[in-house]
Amino acid sequence: MDDIFINSLGTFLPGPAIPSKDIENYLGHVYEKPSRHRALVLRQNKIKTRYYALNENGEAQHSSAEMAAKAVTEAVKNSEISKNDITYMATSATLGDVLVPGLASHVHAALGLPPIEIANFQSVCASSLMALKSAWLQLRADEHHCAVVTGCEFASRYFRPGFYEGVGQTEDEQRVPLEADFLRFTLSDGAGAAILENKPNARQLSLKIKWIDLRSYADRFDTCMLAGGVREGSDILHWSEFDSPAAAAKAGAFMLTQDFDLMKKMIPVWVAHYLELIDQGKIVIDQIDHLCSHYSSHSLREEAIVLLKKSGALIDEEKWFSNLYSKGNTGTASIFIMLEELYREGNLQKGQHILCHVPESGRCVNGLMLLEVV
Amino acid sequence: MSIMNSEEVMRGLAQVWADFSTRLDTVPILEKLHRGKFRLEDYKLLLMNHRQQVVEGGRWIALASSSIDAEYFEMRSKFMEHCITEHRDFRMLEDHYVSIGGKLEDIQNGPKNIGTEALNAFMFHRASQPNPLSLLGSMFIIEGLGQNKAGEWARAIRDQLDLKDEQVKFFLYHAEHDDEHMEEFDEALKSGILDIENMGRDIIKTAKITARLYQLQLEEIGNV
Repeated sequence: MDDIFINSLGTFLPGPAIPSKDIENYLGHVYEKPSRHRALVLRQNKIKTRYYALNENGEAQHSSAEMAAKAVTEAVKNSEISKNDITYMATSATLGDVLVPGLASHVHAALGLPPIEIANFQSVCASSLMALKSAWLQLRADEHHCAVVTGCEFASRYFRPGFYEGVGQTEDEQRVPLEADFLRFTLSDGAGAAILENKPNARQLSLKIKWIDLRSYADRFDTCMLAGGVREGSDILHWSEFDSPAAAAKAGAFMLTQDFDLMKKMIPVWVAHYLELIDQGKIVIDQIDHLCSHYSSHSLREEAIVLLKKSGALIDEEKWFSNLYSKGNTGTASIFIMLEELYREGNLQKGQHILCHVPESGRCVNGLMLLEVV
Repeated sequence: MSIMNSEEVMRGLAQVWADFSTRLDTVPILEKLHRGKFRLEDYKLLLMNHRQQVVEGGRWIALASSSIDAEYFEMRSKFMEHCITEHRDFRMLEDHYVSIGGKLEDIQNGPKNIGTEALNAFMFHRASQPNPLSLLGSMFIIEGLGQNKAGEWARAIRDQLDLKDEQVKFFLYHAEHDDEHMEEFDEALKSGILDIENMGRDIIKTAKITARLYQLQLEEIGNV
């Protein structure tokens, strides 16, 4: 089978870079009060600036489909292809603009491409690698010669006051609970895209995809991130089974939440997946020149660092590359936005290896991808 | 013949641990604890079952010590020290049992469940072999539980049943006292024992067996 290359990357980050102090100017104040968790969350996630597709009145300036299409256009501009060379597109997002139909159709329309094959991946952060893997395999199978993969998120629209006010869990205290506020101050908007071809660039560096390894651990983990349902013990009441969408909303079904304790329990299995790939010889620590991780080193607990050291699996801190702090946590778009900056500014050299890591706490998925600069 | 270095063994053990520790939460009695629906009789049953394994802990470590020959006498010292710190622990479980209304003679005469029988039989068998240093794999699993899981269980049991710290002390104690175990473990692996043919592989396999049988004894709670 052919080698497949990421030949170009593009991003779209809406509006100006927003410093942390201005976040609530865009999202608004729930029950007209500033969030009491804001400082705590920002201390933990260490994000300094981010982008929102909302203006200061909380009005949408773009759709997810538009942002994805703009990122693709940017990637095409940076590439050696023409837009019409693309015959396969895989999109990834946590949530698209509408429930039906899938986001890929809307991105296709926004791009104004002739008929192409599309695929739509919806999960959380790791859907980016699911989409990339599908494109990689499509090209390897010689079904297509040029593909584009996108990741895009427009999370901020769900963080506006109307998504919390009048909801069961917020009514007593007139506040957003921490499990929702954490995501409110962590996630932001943006899109990224990658152009894949079955041959390397003629004029600029390419990133050869060596492998993509994805694994779900939902056999042993409960749902950690949830929107579209209400937790009741270990069961979930689905929004669509309430008497009405209004009743589901009132019960908090549309509030995005994350169970933090559960997320911490996922770290050992994410680490174990990585260690397994070392044992299989797919990852050789000494050969990794850059680590693009959607997970930051400072959020790994000390014991995980000790374990990584003892097992010869710790990648030096200076090789960790992340722009989460300046570009925000854009979910499934993050890995594209990181790779784009690394490609543009990372002084990449032929022969270097880039390891990408995208864990997803939704219901525990872990994804790793190895690239070689050629 | 397979010779592994300490990093390779640590990687193998970390994978066994991750698989075991996350599957454990799906075992019915622990799943119920996570759901917040634990009853006093569940705790009683857990203590009754757990005591029958813990009471044997000091014994298999002592037997293992006596199976280690002079060449590895430093490891023998470690096993013996370990035995001293563990071999009275079961009495804490008896105290907890009595404190929640159980009779001392009941827990002292309680039978092992079928999972505990299997775990116990395996540990004594392995401990009776010459130089059973692969039991380090078992210790990694059992101490890992103490360090990473026991505290969470203790707090959940205490809070759901409205108990005092004293009544869940066995679990709290292990959460507080097993924290150096990764360092000590790494030292043990680097003490030269990995030069023994297949030792690294055997440590990982023994960890895997111990993990599986430990889970079995929790799955088979009450099945005597």
